Amino acid sequence: MTKALIFKEWIKTRWYLLVCLTVMIGFAAYAASGAFRAVELRGAGHIWEVMVTRDAIFVDILRYVPLAAGFALAIVQFVPEMQKKCLKLTLHLPCSILKTTAVMIAYGLCCLTICFTVMSLIGILPLGRLFPHEMVSRIFLSMLPWILGGYSAYIFTSWIIIEPSWKMRIAYIAISALALRIFFLAPGPEAYNVFLPWLSAAVIFSASLIWLSVLRFKAGVQD
Amino acid sequence: MENIIECRNLSHYYGKRMIYENLSFDVPKGHILGLLGKNGTGKTTTINILSGYLEPRDGKCMIFGEDIRKMRPGTKARIGLLIEGHVQYEFMTIKEIERFYSAFYPKWKKEAYYELIGKLKVAPGQRISRMSCGQRSQVALGLILAQNPDLLVLDDFSLGLDPGYRRLFVDYLREYAKAEGKTVFLTSHIIQDMERLVDDCIIMDYGKILIQCPTKEILDNFRLYSCETDRVPESDIPGIYHPYSIKGRLEFGSFLRKNEVAALLAGNNIRFGQLSDKKATLEDAFISMTGKY
Repeated sequence: MTKALIFKEWIKTRWYLLVCLTVMIGFAAYAASGAFRAVELRGAGHIWEVMVTRDAIFVDILRYVPLAAGFALAIVQFVPEMQKKCLKLTLHLPCSILKTTAVMIAYGLCCLTICFTVMSLIGILPLGRLFPHEMVSRIFLSMLPWILGGYSAYIFTSWIIIEPSWKMRIAYIAISALALRIFFLAPGPEAYNVFLPWLSAAVIFSASLIWLSVLRFKAGVQD
Repeated sequence: MENIIECRNLSHYYGKRMIYENLSFDVPKGHILGLLGKNGTGKTTTINILSGYLEPRDGKCMIFGEDIRKMRPGTKARIGLLIEGHVQYEFMTIKEIERFYSAFYPKWKKEAYYELIGKLKVAPGQRISRMSCGQRSQVALGLILAQNPDLLVLDDFSLGLDPGYRRLFVDYLREYAKAEGKTVFLTSHIIQDMERLVDDCIIMDYGKILIQCPTKEILDNFRLYSCETDRVPESDIPGIYHPYSIKGRLEFGSFLRKNEVAALLAGNNIRFGQLSDKKATLEDAFISMTGKY
């Protein structure tokens, strides 16, 4: 049954995932090549200095990419379920509703993990040839809040799409916009380091919001 | 006789608007029961409650002896659900959707699905979103037949279908349900179809059940009456449904016999002449009971 549920999610998302991976690879490669180009033009010493003294991390272009990817994946995955209330078919399957919902969300989070891993590897790994380990890890830690923001965008968007009442959807949109702002508040590198475990825990906890919408859908809540 | 569906004292409101109060009915095993009603009388609401997608304000529904709100997955596997408009996963192809559903149902009959699909002359790779409403209805029906459920719950199965597809759907469904002893609970706003299909019917009006009885009982006993008169009864006369006058002729329906109707009219001081009656179809009876407006 789990395999069949994954098969359904795969049919909905396969073309999106291809496009998403291509775009992410493009952005990550562009960011990495920017660092190489800068080193080539100004010399490694100068770039190291800029990184330390002016907080440059060379991957700023990737800031909103995970956010957009999470947002779009939720749309691709859950809008077809809500068209003509198709979700009724999914929830009528002889499988626990909790399991069905969990498989769908887990699928989405796994897809995002693959995309974000590929993006991080292509955007950061080559930088190891230019910078010391500490600087590469600084870049990665600076990117982590953006990646968490991507997961959150996926969770919040799914929460909004599955919610059956438009009034509540509008309230959720406002809450989500404020919550997502948290991931992009501090512009400095590694500004979230101490906060990251708490932020990660909040993201994991927020996944339960989708279950709330599913329960409201199941109860036939209307405006 | 064992009841597959048992609904007791269902009440539901949308906001302050009452849909119905204290609605109770049973669906016996092996019967095809049609829920008939005008738009807005609560047919889809009832289906939504039965399929667990709406919590009624009050009352209880049991299917196979289980409370629908706490239904086990094994029991859900015994229920085939057709959502209004033959909704299916439009992003899937004919082949993909069969492969998907087959993983969930132990009694899955692939050949039943492909037999019906074979009549559509569409390729297995055809996406459901690119099919006509009639073709989609056959896909939805094929999937339910392949699921081989003990109970079929069909919401407005005739919606959007041309007469040919409606007839195909009705004939296939009736043959299948009777041959396999399946129980069917369905709604439709096209009453002619129901006459060919349902054993029993419930006719709903706003907020209540008007009648629940075997379809044959309606077809055998309900009659349409017409007489000349100078006035329309001002208040409801028990036993006479929705009398209305056209150009001096009073028309109404009733389960009463001609002599009983004549006595009833006379007893209510209605002068009449040339009282005539004729057999009613299920649609005639439905319109007569629920009124034209």
